[in-house]
Amino acid sequence: MTESPSKWKLLALLSVSGLFVFPLLLMLLASVKPAAQLTSDPYSLLPNSIRTENYSESLQSIPYVKYLANSIVLCIGSVIGTVVSCSLAAYGFARMKWRGRNVLFALLIGTMLLPWHVTMIPRFVLFSELGLYNHLTAIILPTFLGDAFYIFLLRQFFMSIPEEISEAARLDGLSEFGIYWRIVLPLSKPALITVAMFQLVASWNDFSGPLLYLSDHEKFPLAYGLEQFISSYADQTHLLMAASVMFTLPMVILFFVAQKSFTRGITMTGSK
Amino acid sequence: MSVGSKGLHRWSPWLFISPWLLGLIVLFVYPFIASLVWSFTEYDLLTSPRFVGVDNYKRIAREFIRGEGFGKALWNTFYFAAVSIPLSTVMAIGLAVMLNWKVRGQAVFRTLFYLPSMVPMVASSILWLWLLDPRDGMVNGVLAYFYETPPLWFQGMQEGVSLPTPFQFGSKDGLALMSFWGVGNFMLIYLAALGDIDASLYQAAELDGAGRFQKFRYITLPMLSPIIFFNLILGIIQSVQAFTQVYIVSEGTGQPAESSLLISLQLFLTAFRDLEMGYASAIAWALFVILATATWGLFRSSRNWVHYRGGRL
Repeated sequence: MTESPSKWKLLALLSVSGLFVFPLLLMLLASVKPAAQLTSDPYSLLPNSIRTENYSESLQSIPYVKYLANSIVLCIGSVIGTVVSCSLAAYGFARMKWRGRNVLFALLIGTMLLPWHVTMIPRFVLFSELGLYNHLTAIILPTFLGDAFYIFLLRQFFMSIPEEISEAARLDGLSEFGIYWRIVLPLSKPALITVAMFQLVASWNDFSGPLLYLSDHEKFPLAYGLEQFISSYADQTHLLMAASVMFTLPMVILFFVAQKSFTRGITMTGSK
Repeated sequence: MSVGSKGLHRWSPWLFISPWLLGLIVLFVYPFIASLVWSFTEYDLLTSPRFVGVDNYKRIAREFIRGEGFGKALWNTFYFAAVSIPLSTVMAIGLAVMLNWKVRGQAVFRTLFYLPSMVPMVASSILWLWLLDPRDGMVNGVLAYFYETPPLWFQGMQEGVSLPTPFQFGSKDGLALMSFWGVGNFMLIYLAALGDIDASLYQAAELDGAGRFQKFRYITLPMLSPIIFFNLILGIIQSVQAFTQVYIVSEGTGQPAESSLLISLQLFLTAFRDLEMGYASAIAWALFVILATATWGLFRSSRNWVHYRGGRL
């Protein structure tokens, strides 16, 4: 049987790509359409005139900059917390031998399998009693206490670093923390970047955390802040779409920038 | 080496894992026990929990039988999973096979197929609320050519996969459609697995005169079956945990007629709108048991259809 000509394959790929990208394109087009066109002629594709003022209006009517600032605080805090706590724990599991390690590692995997529903309510009660309700801290703090998936990922990477390097460093009088800080972390940059990237995306997108813990508009990050405007802006699609584009764009850019470090992290763990 | 530093050395692993260990106790062990205890109480956050025995679980059983509240939410979740998981599995495998074709611009197509998966859930919910608007939405603009009365999507309580009136898509079908758009992560897992299949298998099959369909049926599918199994479990977990999009498309109500009230939203509303923490804890535990049973059942059945290289596990 002969392979079908690559012309047809190309055509199939192009049409499926079109299906996937079309909704995003519609969002982008709606974000520059005049408001009247969206209501009078909802099925039109191209804007009658390109109206970039939608963006400035959207920035004015939605406290976008304030939400953005909260999002940035949330992202930076969570990424620092995740990278610090998870790399420390991963080092303990990957590069040190101690009694009880296997039991605790099994527990670590167990926390990955437990649905969040089971822990949600007691966590909320606990954090409220600690006075963290309506503080971004309530969402950032848990990232400083490690995450099973990232610890597992970093452990796999740390284990691929030859033990001889650590032994040589120990003979040179380096402490265990010194080995972690000066040798293992610098060698693990790709894996650390991957973890940081995953957490950055998760924090930027996080909706349920702010929904649960924040009540004050001043403290909302973008993901939750934007949702507040959906019902009141039902007939202001142009503003909603402009805000959505501004909210989505950083993630798309990040994806294009980070694609390399993602694949580098994966290929390095695979090849060693 | 001094005695002091030796003592420190013995303790240092615990120092390294101490942040996570604190998290294990505060974020998992304590909540795990507390929610189990509270599931036998009536607790509204304002007054201390009052022990009520198995009343909460009786209520769960009652609502399950009558198909209201918890039972309704469980049905909705089941319907959503039953529509979205098989279709997105077929889609993800198909897309991965396409992306594996050796054509020019392969990298570009991979990026384009994956792009929707990078769109934040809040933004894609806003987008699809608009695209699936029954009156002004672009999707119904197209469907109007085929339908006398186009589907109501998020404003409808019907189920598109139903006997009397099929293809009258309602809120859960809209949610499933959204999950197809963001199928990129599953697709990437299949793509990686396709790359791992030994090319000599295909060459041997070609020598035996196998056609393209036979190669797919007797080589690709069996070789992918461990990944399909893994993704099925992941899909079930994701369906049970689906929350953000469910909350947004129904403005946090699960309406119309509780048709978009998936189990995570129902749990959230029971806890934080109705302040029934005891009952909500019981729901969480019932869900935990159901999930564990479903996963165990899948593991049992997997012996019959999952092929591991180098024999059975």
